[in-house]
Amino acid sequence: MSSLTVSTVITTGRVELVNVRHRLLLVAKVRLLWVLCLFALIAVTAVLRIAFLGVFEPSRGARSLSDALLPSRGEIVDRNGVPLARAFPAYALWYNPKVLGENGPPLVKSPAEVAAALVRIFPDENPARLTKLLAAGKPAYLRRRIMPEDANKIHGLGEPALEFPRENERFYPQGSMAASVLGFVTADGHGRVGMEQVYDKRLTDPATRGTPAMLSIDTRVQGALEDELSRGMAESNAKGAAGIILDVDTGEVLALASLPSFNPNLIDQAGAGNVFNRVTNQVYELGSTFKPITVAAAIDAGTVTNLGRRYQANQPIAIGGFHIRDSHTIGASLNVPEALIHSSNIVTAQVADELGGARLNATMKALGFNRRPYIELPAKGFPLWPKGEWSRITTMTVSYGHGIAVTPLHLASAYATLVNGGIWRPATLEKIDPARVPAGTRVFKASTSARMRQLLRLIVDIGTGKKANAAGYRVGGKTGSAEKPGAGGYQRSSLVATFAAAFPMDRPRYVVIAMLDEPQGTVATSGQRTAAWNAAPVVGRVVPRIGPLLGVMPDASRDVDITDLAPLVASGEGE
Amino acid sequence: MKLTRDRARSIGWAVILMVCLAMTMALTMRVNAVKSQVALAERKIVALRQEQQMLETEFETRANQQQLKALNDVEFGYQAPTPTQYLEGERQLAVLAKARSPGAPSPIRVATAAVEPTPTLVAMVSPLTGKALAAETPRREHRPSAVGAARLADRLSTLDRAKASQE
Repeated sequence: MSSLTVSTVITTGRVELVNVRHRLLLVAKVRLLWVLCLFALIAVTAVLRIAFLGVFEPSRGARSLSDALLPSRGEIVDRNGVPLARAFPAYALWYNPKVLGENGPPLVKSPAEVAAALVRIFPDENPARLTKLLAAGKPAYLRRRIMPEDANKIHGLGEPALEFPRENERFYPQGSMAASVLGFVTADGHGRVGMEQVYDKRLTDPATRGTPAMLSIDTRVQGALEDELSRGMAESNAKGAAGIILDVDTGEVLALASLPSFNPNLIDQAGAGNVFNRVTNQVYELGSTFKPITVAAAIDAGTVTNLGRRYQANQPIAIGGFHIRDSHTIGASLNVPEALIHSSNIVTAQVADELGGARLNATMKALGFNRRPYIELPAKGFPLWPKGEWSRITTMTVSYGHGIAVTPLHLASAYATLVNGGIWRPATLEKIDPARVPAGTRVFKASTSARMRQLLRLIVDIGTGKKANAAGYRVGGKTGSAEKPGAGGYQRSSLVATFAAAFPMDRPRYVVIAMLDEPQGTVATSGQRTAAWNAAPVVGRVVPRIGPLLGVMPDASRDVDITDLAPLVASGEGE
Repeated sequence: MKLTRDRARSIGWAVILMVCLAMTMALTMRVNAVKSQVALAERKIVALRQEQQMLETEFETRANQQQLKALNDVEFGYQAPTPTQYLEGERQLAVLAKARSPGAPSPIRVATAAVEPTPTLVAMVSPLTGKALAAETPRREHRPSAVGAARLADRLSTLDRAKASQE
């Protein structure tokens, strides 16, 4: 109040000043209010946003863990869970010239310099091709697959136009191993040739692709088989090789190799020619490996009751203008064990003649020789099977493996039947639960099978299969060297050498088949081309490598008892 | 303004409703916070799994059978073991043993001490008397141990005594 009284006594100009001050204060207050309102609005917005985030956000775009980890294509693993094929987010090298803007050069350095730097990282690249691609200024793949450390090195080059996007690709960590079993995946994402094709639906279906498809293959066994087959192929200068290892009690295929192989990671012109599977798709006349089947059929039918009975062996059998000969005369007469040991066509033909075409035909049919082989793989060859009733000459030639052509897989299943007690089971590439082994069909009596084990062991012990006699593993088997049919009859120069074996003969567990296509006589095979010198040693080297892995321990103190057959076999070259 | 009873009650309900709403809100936020933590953890798991698979694949590729074979051919030259390198069971092991030759070091002997086995079953208590049925538990008669005896004669005598007590 006192100030007012004072102001009135002073001047009217002062009153104006006070009014101005009031107005300014009011303006300031209003502005302050505005600022406060603004802050309050921001705070409320922030709180509302937080509340919104807190209440609704986590439900948005929630994906379950299993969805995120579901592979784009299911894995294929071997019987022990080792991955053979998997979807793999691989790096690709992609050139994107638009990264540094539409105008101006896409690269920091010149294309030639960048190409030179890339060649330092990938020595197999062609600098001219890279320079051309980089200079063209169009988006393109420079490389489809690069390693993570290479991606780091490219990052170090400091070129933003070089990108390495991760792309889901099919990857085979074991390279070309078991390629003929697995097959490959084409750019459209579908499997071809092998189990990739068979399992295609299962591997792509979101409901089932989470669990890996388990094969009966054992990677270690497959590796050993491929390894030794390629060595045998190189030593004998063969055109190709095929091998299969089969569980005699379940029909599971533990290894299946067709050489030369291809790399499913990179199907190129050279690899495409090797996609063909020699084990399941190609039929061969497998020659003398059929002799044990004929003998088993004869023992089973009761036409061979006395293994000591002698058959003439030095006169070629003339029938229908055709002569059945042996490669060399072994003796004037031979009994059945000797005929198998020395692989006599003449004696086997006589045994088959006594057995008769109808019964041999029935046995071969029971072994599935008139059908495509039983296996999941899509490529299955149809056997060359003599149709109708078999004449005498057909019966005789089939008895030693000529005039009939089957796949090596047919032979493997037949040998499993010979030694496992006489039960034929279909071969399979899927791992079988031991409780659900197929019952199979009986082809031979158990007693016949027991006799065949002795005879097969005898062949390896003292006959043509000596080189397959892996010490302690009780291997039994039969060699077969058949001339390939060509234009104008059989070609003496091109052979198919096969060794069909099983081990251990005192309780057979696995059948091993090794086959070489057109082997040549080399120093490593002592100049010989027959199976005894090239295919048998392959089996002899494979068995010690795989036996302990499969639970067959070498034991020199055990063997199948062949003492009752030993006196029947003359020492030396027959009688 | 007079606070009537009804009015107080409705204000009370409103307050309770507000409190409940606030608590629900807080709880929802808490739940969603945990949910987003779980989502983050899952994302991390996925990333780690993918990295693990990547590393595993790289390892499998570098250590594939063909690479190992090439390495073995160049560096080590290991071969499959021969049958003589396998032993199955004690019987085959015993075959390798030879008779002791004169002057050979005496075989190592291992000292043993008899351990009294403690009864593992708890003594049953009679439901009537409440006392332990100690009579039922077999009582082991104490036999002097032959191992602890000082001299051979003592050991023999303890053995004799043990035999006599068995008879």
